[in-house]
Amino acid sequence: MSDDLEKSFVKQLKENQNIIHKICRLYTNGEEAHNDLFQEITIQLWKAFPKFRGESKFSTWAYRVALNTAITLYRKSTRTVATVTYEGQKHFLSQEDYNHEEEEQIKLMYQAVQQLNDIEKALVFLYLEDKDYTEISETLGISEVNARVKMNRIKGKLKKILNP
Amino acid sequence: MEELDLLKKAWQKDTHTFEQVSESEIYKMLHRKSSSIVKWILVISLIEFGLGALVNLSFNTDDMIASLHAESFAVFLKVLTYVNYAVILWFIYNFYRNYARISTITSTKQLMQDIIRARKTVQNYVWYNLFMIFVSIILGFVIAFIYNPKTELLIYKIEHEDNYKTLSLTICLVIFTIVIFVGFFWLFYRLIYGTLLRKLNANYKELKKIDL
Repeated sequence: MSDDLEKSFVKQLKENQNIIHKICRLYTNGEEAHNDLFQEITIQLWKAFPKFRGESKFSTWAYRVALNTAITLYRKSTRTVATVTYEGQKHFLSQEDYNHEEEEQIKLMYQAVQQLNDIEKALVFLYLEDKDYTEISETLGISEVNARVKMNRIKGKLKKILNP
Repeated sequence: MEELDLLKKAWQKDTHTFEQVSESEIYKMLHRKSSSIVKWILVISLIEFGLGALVNLSFNTDDMIASLHAESFAVFLKVLTYVNYAVILWFIYNFYRNYARISTITSTKQLMQDIIRARKTVQNYVWYNLFMIFVSIILGFVIAFIYNPKTELLIYKIEHEDNYKTLSLTICLVIFTIVIFVGFFWLFYRLIYGTLLRKLNANYKELKKIDL
C-alpha cells in the first residue's frame, strides 16, 4: 500500500482516536485490555481503509469497524465485571460545570452501562454518540423498530440496576 | 431517562481526557499482527484442509489393490477417489468465497453470520472427511476379508468357534477405532471452536433475540 494512503490513514485515525478510546473503555476493564483492543481496532480499520471512499465522515465509518471488532472479532471476553476497578468514570467528572450531585449520578450511570452485555453496550454507545435509530439499526443489522424497542428495554434495565 | 441524558451530555463534552496515541505509535500498530477470531479461523481451517489432503494422499489404494489382487474393486475405488477430489475442491472454493466475504464494514449481524458460515463450511469439510475415513475403514475390512490371505485364518476361527470370542474381539476393534476417531474430532471442535467462538455465539444469539 502506498505511503500516501498510510499517511492519510494515520492522520485521520489520530484525529478521531477518541471514538476508539470510548469503545475500548466501554468494552474492556483494564489498561492492558484497553490497549489491546485499541491495537486490534487499528489493524481492522487499516485493513478496511482501502474500501473507505470518503462518502461518509471518517468517524461515521470508523464506528462500524470499531464496534464490529469489539463485539465480534476480538477474542478475549469483553464482559466487564460489575465492580469497575479501572478508573473509567473519572474521565467524565473533570468538567467544572457539573455539580456534585450530577457527578455522582453520571458516575453511577456509567457503572450501570458497564454491566450491560456487549450488544446492549453497542446500542447505548451509539445513543450516547447521538446517532439516530436509522444509523443504529443499520450498524447492528436489526430493524429500526426493534432497535427502538430494545433501547427502551435497556433504559428500563439501567433504571433497575440504579434502583434495585 | 434523565440519568442517561446526563451521561450523554457528559459523554459528548468529554473529548480530551484519554491518553492520546501519537502518529508514530499508530504507524507501529499498523505493522503488528492481528489476533482477531477471523484470522484464527483462517489458520485453523488451512490446517484442517492440509490434514484432510494428507489423509487422502496417505490412503494409497492402488498399492493395496495390487498387493491383494483385488482388481474388481479398482474401478470402483478410482471413481470414488475422483469424486472425493471434486468434493474437496468444491469445499475449498466455498471456504475461500465465504472467507473473502467477511468484512468489518457490514452490519454486526451480517458479519457474525458470515463468520459462522465460513466456519460451518470447514466443519462440514471435516465431517465429510470423517465420513470418508469411516467408509474407507469399512471398505478396508471388506477387502481384507475377501482378498487378504492373512485373514483366512481369522475367518476360519470365527466360523469354527463356539463362543464367538474372536468375532466379538474383531467387532470391538472396529468400534473402538471409530469411537476414537469421532471422539477426537468432537473434542477438537469443543476445544478450538468452543473457546474461539463462545463470545461471538452469545452475542449473535442476543442480537437475534432483538429481531424476533
